[in-house]
Amino acid sequence: MNAALTTAGAEVTARGVTKRFGVRGQPVTVLDDVDLRIAPGEFVSVIGPSGCGKSTLLRIIAGLLDADEGSVAINGETVPQAIRHKTMGLVPQTPALLPWRSVRDNVLLPTQVNTAANAGRNLLDVDELLTSFGLGNDLRKYPRQLSGGMQQRVAIARAFVFDPPVLLMDEPFSALDEITRDQQRLGLLDFWQSNRRSVMFITHSVPEAILLSDRVVLMAARPGRIAEVTEIDLPRPRDESVFLSPQFREYEIRIREGLRRVMKNVEH
Amino acid sequence: MSSTEKVASAIVELEQARQPGAEKAAGKSVTRAVPKVSAWTRWRFGLWIPPLVTFVLLGIAWEYVAHSNPFVIPPLGNIAESIANDPSAYWNNLLVTLKEVAVGGGAAIVLGYLLAVLMCEFKILERALMPVVMVIMVTPVIAIAPALVVAFGFGMLPKYIVTIIVAIFPILINSLAGLRAVDPGTLDVLRVVDASRWEIFWRLRLPGSMPYFFAGLRIAIPFAIIGAAVAEFVAAGEAAGLGAMISIAASQANLEVTWAGISMFCVLGLLFVAVLTLLRRRVLWWDNHGRAPK
Ligand SMILES: Nc1ncnc2c1ncn2[C@@H]1O[C@H](COP(=O)(O)OP(=O)(O)OP(=O)(O)O)[C@@H](O)[C@H]1O
Ligand SMILES: [Mg+2]
Repeated sequence: MNAALTTAGAEVTARGVTKRFGVRGQPVTVLDDVDLRIAPGEFVSVIGPSGCGKSTLLRIIAGLLDADEGSVAINGETVPQAIRHKTMGLVPQTPALLPWRSVRDNVLLPTQVNTAANAGRNLLDVDELLTSFGLGNDLRKYPRQLSGGMQQRVAIARAFVFDPPVLLMDEPFSALDEITRDQQRLGLLDFWQSNRRSVMFITHSVPEAILLSDRVVLMAARPGRIAEVTEIDLPRPRDESVFLSPQFREYEIRIREGLRRVMKNVEH
Repeated sequence: MSSTEKVASAIVELEQARQPGAEKAAGKSVTRAVPKVSAWTRWRFGLWIPPLVTFVLLGIAWEYVAHSNPFVIPPLGNIAESIANDPSAYWNNLLVTLKEVAVGGGAAIVLGYLLAVLMCEFKILERALMPVVMVIMVTPVIAIAPALVVAFGFGMLPKYIVTIIVAIFPILINSLAGLRAVDPGTLDVLRVVDASRWEIFWRLRLPGSMPYFFAGLRIAIPFAIIGAAVAEFVAAGEAAGLGAMISIAASQANLEVTWAGISMFCVLGLLFVAVLTLLRRRVLWWDNHGRAPK
């Protein structure tokens, strides 16, 4: 069975999204007229200097924050409708697991709320899901018995378990050490390549963005806006060998240059 | 099974008992090499010898003072004798106080937590009620108690009310903090799938608030005992309860009865703390006492 054929993901369209935060009465524009489209089943990474508004954009798409201007549509639905239908799964920056629930029960959490939206949905088998994340032997353990990397995998499994067409991930690996991060990236790559969904993935790592993505969106700060978009035309399915390919080096140089330009503009 | 093995397995069991969820969850039988233990480790001397020494030394000091100044404190033997001579009087007074602490403290726990839930869910209630809570909290209960006795007479009611007033605040304040201190990441995860307020409360806030609630209990229970004692002091004419007994005995310079009453308060307090500790271990097996995870 090919899961990619059953649900390919949903289209996410953000148009003219603008967000201001009032800081001591003075509104600061954090996002200025941002357009972002994620095609069904597309993996899009967002990269940019700290404070450029990446998390803000993700939170607006997730419906956790309202935009001041502009609109977000998910498969033609508004964000509140998409939320009601459990269209999006969220992987926060920290694993945010519940210490009183076993690994298995933590993953099941999203399926146990708003159960009306479970109807007609292809809920994944938790045990199978966790096994494919390399946690088959840890189903009945508790979060504090797991390493940081394992906890983050549980958090990712929790977002996948109710099979949402859209996944929103805000720097899911940023709290991990470099060796563990490498492992986690490849694990996510593997899993996603056999369960293609639309993904918005925030990261600070250029190689991570290239390895995983179909497109890398570079954001500039003050005000937060999209500076460049790079299509990553590396063949799929990918594995760690892409790190060695000359195209990979080219993409890396190009995106790093873009980052440098974006950072320089900020200083002026 | 040799005696060494028995002791070693008892130690393993003890350690398991400390983390029941963890070991059970792992689904593993714990097999550890039987360690060679010295008598010191085996009987956990380090655990109970130091406090024992302290108590013995305190007892000796007490007896020394009691025998050289009989009008300051009575010898321990006389206190025990006083209890042995009329156990039913002590028992009845203990029961009266116990009832006040249990009913008043119990009501404070239930009301305090309910109020915290309502304040957490309806911000407007917090705005409306918190100032009143603060005003009552900063007023010394010893000052309110006589007024309550005048208002409600000498029955049990004013005692319940005084006990509730003192014990409710630590529960309310702690539980409210706990209900609010949920992991924002988990909250986001739940909001994105449109979890209802009830679902967020039931699956996240309620269990998450338990460590705070228990921290509140640890303060509230001694407070409830203080409340009961204070209420009995100011209504001593009624002559029921340990507080009244102490108050009357002290006014007659009856040291034995006074100190017998005090020791019963000690026992009462220790009893509640012991029950609380056991309960906490059962309910909060997943909480690693504020230590960093892992
Ligand atoms: N609630 C808020 N009130 C005021 N300012 C805010 C608020 N949330 C975010 N900001 C500001 O908006 C800007 C963008 O924040 P955001 O968290 O989206 O950045 P980011 O790109 O995710 O940064 P990082 O890479 O460090 O996570 C920052 O300058 C931040 O100070
Ligand atoms: Mg961020």
